[in-house]
Amino acid sequence: MIVFDRVSVTYAGAPAPALSDVTLEIPEGELVLVVGPTGSGKSTLLRTINGLVPHFTGGTLSGSVVVDGLDTAEHRPRDLATMVGLVDQNPTSTFVTDVVEDEVAYGMETMGLHPTTIRRRIEETLDLFGLTPLRSRPLSALSGGQQQRVAIASLFAAGPKVLVLDEPTSALDPVAAEEVLASLQRIVHDLGVTVVLAEHRLERVVHHADRVVLVSQGRTSGLLDPATAMATSTIFPPVVGLSRLAGWTPTPLSIRDARRHAATLRATLGDLGGAPTTPLRGIGPADAVTVRGARIRRGSRVVIEGLDLTVARGSVTALMGRNGAGKSTLLGALAGQHPLTSGSMRLGRRGLDPHDVRARERVAVVGLVPQQPELLLYADSVEAECADADRDFGVEPGTTARMLARISGPIDGGLHPRDLSEGQRLELAVSVILAGAPEVLLLDEPTRGLDYGAKQRLGATLTELAARGTTVVIATHDVELCAEVADRVVILADGEIVSDGPAREVLSSSPAFAPQVTKVLLPQTWLTVAEVAAALERSA
Amino acid sequence: MTAGTTRRAIPLRWPAAVAVSLVCTVGLLAFVWPFVVSAEFATSHGNDAPWFFAVLLALLALVCLAELTSGRLDAKTIAVLGVAAAAGGGMRLLSAGTAGLEPMFFVVIVAGRVLGPGVGFVSGSLAVTTGALLTGGVGPWLPFQMICAGAVGLGAGLLPVAAGARAERWVVAGYALLTGLGYGLLMNLWFWPFLGANAPTGMGFVPGAPVSENLNHYGVFYLATSLGWDLPRGVLNAVLVLVAGPALLRVFRRAARRAAFDAPVAFEQPPLRTALPDDPRVRAPKPPEVVGR
Amino acid sequence: MHLRERLQHPAAWWLWGLGLATAASRTANPVLLLLVIGVCVVVVTERRDPATPNPLVPFLLIGGFIVAFRVVLTAVLGNGINGPTVVFSLPRVPLPDWASGVRLGGPVSLESLLFALYDSLRLAAILTCLGAANALASPRRLLRYLPATLYDVGTAVVVGLTFAPQLLSDARTVRSARTLRGHEGRGIREISRLAVPVLETAFERSLGLAASMESRGYGRAVRSTVRDRRIASALALVGLLGVLGGLYGLLDSSAGGALGLPLLVVGAALAAASLAVGASRDSRSGHRREQWAWTETLTVLTGILSAAVLVVGSVRGWEGIVPTQRAELPAVPLVAVVAMLIAATPAFFTPRPRQVDA
Repeated sequence: MIVFDRVSVTYAGAPAPALSDVTLEIPEGELVLVVGPTGSGKSTLLRTINGLVPHFTGGTLSGSVVVDGLDTAEHRPRDLATMVGLVDQNPTSTFVTDVVEDEVAYGMETMGLHPTTIRRRIEETLDLFGLTPLRSRPLSALSGGQQQRVAIASLFAAGPKVLVLDEPTSALDPVAAEEVLASLQRIVHDLGVTVVLAEHRLERVVHHADRVVLVSQGRTSGLLDPATAMATSTIFPPVVGLSRLAGWTPTPLSIRDARRHAATLRATLGDLGGAPTTPLRGIGPADAVTVRGARIRRGSRVVIEGLDLTVARGSVTALMGRNGAGKSTLLGALAGQHPLTSGSMRLGRRGLDPHDVRARERVAVVGLVPQQPELLLYADSVEAECADADRDFGVEPGTTARMLARISGPIDGGLHPRDLSEGQRLELAVSVILAGAPEVLLLDEPTRGLDYGAKQRLGATLTELAARGTTVVIATHDVELCAEVADRVVILADGEIVSDGPAREVLSSSPAFAPQVTKVLLPQTWLTVAEVAAALERSA
Repeated sequence: MTAGTTRRAIPLRWPAAVAVSLVCTVGLLAFVWPFVVSAEFATSHGNDAPWFFAVLLALLALVCLAELTSGRLDAKTIAVLGVAAAAGGGMRLLSAGTAGLEPMFFVVIVAGRVLGPGVGFVSGSLAVTTGALLTGGVGPWLPFQMICAGAVGLGAGLLPVAAGARAERWVVAGYALLTGLGYGLLMNLWFWPFLGANAPTGMGFVPGAPVSENLNHYGVFYLATSLGWDLPRGVLNAVLVLVAGPALLRVFRRAARRAAFDAPVAFEQPPLRTALPDDPRVRAPKPPEVVGR
Repeated sequence: MHLRERLQHPAAWWLWGLGLATAASRTANPVLLLLVIGVCVVVVTERRDPATPNPLVPFLLIGGFIVAFRVVLTAVLGNGINGPTVVFSLPRVPLPDWASGVRLGGPVSLESLLFALYDSLRLAAILTCLGAANALASPRRLLRYLPATLYDVGTAVVVGLTFAPQLLSDARTVRSARTLRGHEGRGIREISRLAVPVLETAFERSLGLAASMESRGYGRAVRSTVRDRRIASALALVGLLGVLGGLYGLLDSSAGGALGLPLLVVGAALAAASLAVGASRDSRSGHRREQWAWTETLTVLTGILSAAVLVVGSVRGWEGIVPTQRAELPAVPLVAVVAMLIAATPAFFTPRPRQVDA
């Protein structure tokens, strides 16, 4: 279906090729997963399939990419539109119209299909993707998962034989991601569409894949069997980590497969005394955050209702819950961005009310890294951004740059913040906020779009900060991050706390929030591969 | 980015250039006709002329836009124009409460500066249209505004100062001040003849009176009613250019660079390898091909 | 219910509104003008496009402001009319020489006030008609009917319309993000700080959109050939020259005024034709274009009727179309009133837009 023949891509002005010498043949009707860290050339690989690279981006492509007999050198992306559909990480930026049904019709209209055909295909597509009840809704009123399904549906409606998806679930919560993947699964199985998919969150997708391609520094492996690929890949989900530790073959990709192998490991670990029960580290007095009877209204909607919460100094607390449960609003209120309708908030040792002080004083006590960290950044180079932050917080010049170097390692200071990878951009935003040395650090969905490497660095940074006495509160959907770093997990639903306790207890007792390792090793409550490894090492 | 490499997403070819100048001339006539018109025409049609010109200019504005863009825009240019239109229109939405203070021109001027006179004209007209559509303010003034704002963007693209030069900031600020004032001066003219005999004595349009008298009347009218709003608008735009101009120019230039409007696209034959034993396909190698844009 | 509500074709409402505006522009009779405003309000109340906020209200406010402003201005500065009925007198203020024609203060006559009131009421009525058109059919729905030659521009406007609310919400987010770095300032410097991340985000989004449009076949339909474009350019240029020449002839009657109007009309027709060249080659297809049914035709007819009656009335000089400059109640031509009332009937026979759940 898709044939890459010795494909190399070099962008204009780039010192090195983004892809080199890729030869691959993707057969029809397969779901192929492309795995690689940020900047490895995954996106370039995907965008050569419909010719966006190089027709749209500029640059030189050597070799050839042929889709169902059509060479991209001779066919521009728009000519391939009937053949290849491309879905992006952020669906909102790809919508051309503003109502679900119009969006689904758009591609077919530009292709000049007959109105009755359009009509019929719209009905079929809406049914297939479960969008019929939403058909006359404005796109902006949909949730992220619904938007992503509309984006896929609108491409699918035009009848392409190949769907290319670049991180379709990275920005979604687990439930929404599952909806999107289920739709994909259906069109691959029932309709024989070829799907090429790149995704950081392997734990969500690897068990759906028929084939895996590993990408690293512009070079690709061949088409591999998923289990074989995971056995050697540098990027892998926790269940594969556990499998490597225990030496299971073939490598299990789903929880169910892993549990079949896990009996021996469970027994061994049981003999070692089961999962640890002690808290991860010593924690200070419970006065870093004190919320009493908070009620927060946004517009006409009450988002937080009668919420009480105290957080201990130097702890890491994770706020979890569905989208719209009030996590972001709570963090925003703690940072003084949303006023309380009633109740009170006190922060830090001095018991500061975040709504009662000027921004200048507030930033010394509480710092928030918002969901889109780039909105914090407005200089045109990393260096200038750091210098601005030093001035903003009135600290000694170079403080922010040093912080960034510690968190992120060396970054070219002349780069534009928007040209950084998602992970580096988050690290820059965190460094900027940390320049103010806040007692309480709040992070809103920090792992959106991060690859495993960046996530690990973030986890290490947070653990280190907490060890030095900074109180960290994260709002996140990422259970694996919680398992790594959180001392305590608070689950919100409809603006109220429905579950609150030590991370191990809360995570392992909830089917929705249990990490993969826990699911494999239940009833023992291990959270991470590292924990299991450490226990095994101690016994050896 | 080196100074001076202004990108032209919409090339201004000669037919389009001539069309734009003709439309601007008609546009100017549509404003200044009270001063040049013959007495008999003014008395018989003075009340209809503004409506007539509104319809005529609406048609001409569309012709002009079609001439500039038809079949020549790629998706990237459309998206960039969309942002400029949204920014300009959004500014109007924001400034709806503060009568007359329209920072919209600021965006139009920056777009024209960075992306050339063609984009300047189109983004000016589209910013006005978008603003009108957003606020539900479509009316006979829209064609006049489209041509005026288009001309402002066009002029910004034609300003004789090198991109990135030190003088750029001051030249553009001066231009913003002048256009802010000039825009008000012209936009008041389109409805001034309506006042006709009913205008306060000495401020109204007197059909058939000598140009000097009508100019005098209009001058008094303008001083009395509009200068108070136009001056702050001009000053605001100029100050915006001075303070925020360099930063916004950088944002637009970066966007133009990232959109790679003129990045070369090339296809090559891969370097020959000895053999591909694992390749079942037998295909004749293609001659190297370069696809220009 | 999943069916979308049937909204009346936007062009029908706009033609109706323009007809009514034409009617209003032909008269200065306050009764007729108030009737026009009343008709607009009734029709909008009954058949407003539920997808838009009601733009009639700001139009009415602007109209009211114009009326008040003109009346006050007339009281202070006077106008050309010096009626016998003096209502009150303002103290006269002497002015410098260059403004010698201007009178400031002095006696205020009822006639001059009434004239100002009627005349400004006409402007207010025209504005109300336009506001009603805006409220009945959101003008963005008209964008679908642009000829293929303007398809690119129309798309850019649609993109702009989608981006603008996102820009505003981004601006709010960035503003609150600024406080996270300890800034609460207002003022111009702060605006420029806000604008940078907002626009950067918008441009990033726009590139994503462009890529998506490109890969979804945008610009794939052959909309014009080189030959089409040459013909269109030639038509446009010749047409524009014709318009310019015609205008010159019209405005300056000494230079062949007789030729002016025909030249202008031909020029405008040629220019309009340039828009249509190649439009038939458009291979895009439409999904759910609005239908044109008998209600649309009837709506347009009622608008045209009101315009026709008042145009005929003003040409024939019916009594009361242009009220006298005396301080008395003007005569009201019955035919015109009936025509106006007929123009209100679309409020009842057109399909009622159903409220959409957002």
